[in-house]
Amino acid sequence: MRDAARDLTALELLRVQRGRLADRLRPRWWYLAGIAFLWALVFAAPFGSRYLPWGVSPFPLILVVALPVACLLYWGQAWATGIKTGFRNLSYRPARPAGIAMLVVSIAANGTETSLIRRGLLAAAIVVAALAVAAEVAAQQALLRAIRQDVRAGGGAA
Amino acid sequence: MTLKARPDPLIHPITRLSICGLLAAGADWIEFAALRDAAGISDSVLSKQSRVLEDAGYVEVRKGAVGRRPRTWFRLTAKGRQAVQGHLAWLAQLEEEFSASTLDARQPRPRLGDRGQPRRVLPPLLGST
Repeated sequence: MRDAARDLTALELLRVQRGRLADRLRPRWWYLAGIAFLWALVFAAPFGSRYLPWGVSPFPLILVVALPVACLLYWGQAWATGIKTGFRNLSYRPARPAGIAMLVVSIAANGTETSLIRRGLLAAAIVVAALAVAAEVAAQQALLRAIRQDVRAGGGAA
Repeated sequence: MTLKARPDPLIHPITRLSICGLLAAGADWIEFAALRDAAGISDSVLSKQSRVLEDAGYVEVRKGAVGRRPRTWFRLTAKGRQAVQGHLAWLAQLEEEFSASTLDARQPRPRLGDRGQPRRVLPPLLGST
């Protein structure tokens, strides 16, 4: 009976420790700012396609800038929190709603921007891009929240 | 693959359970200081216990450095993950049984003469007529 009580205390302690670990995963301001910058690059693509001279595609340029920034953000987050979460795609269930939201927002915003730019409504396109960046940052925060909750719950371990 | 709920003697000590339980909690790699702070243990205890777990093939250790500062990262191996999951499932089972038995003990006993209680017919005493 005493052994069982000790084991259960250990389990309870482990729950508290998981909570402590999950709290470390809170994003820093620079991480969110970096994510906003990355998405701003993505949503700048329709403007680049329309306004870059000689019909230059903006995508290689965006990739060249975005890739090092994304790597720096990942490394910086791991360095600051001491936790590497790895890349989470849609097969990771807790992150699925946020991942789908990101995908839908990026497709819808890019389509809307392209159509607005074609009609000459530049200001409206900029507003759509800004709103899309805000939505993507919110989705990224939701994704991190889902990972934190998963860590707190034990990541399916028990 | 089905999960077998069974205790693992190597993970059973509370410090090793903390280390393995934290490593199994959804993160990929966890750094030494983060693991030490979350588990609330000292550097030497973490070093000693992680070595035991590494020797048993439960934990993978990767050492690196940022500038001059050395950084050690830990991750559960597949074998370690399986053992931890089994041990935690066993603990969860134990907790369920324990809470069920506690609930039973807390149930109020029916008092004699309570209304709404089924009347129990006592067996006749031996030897009575």
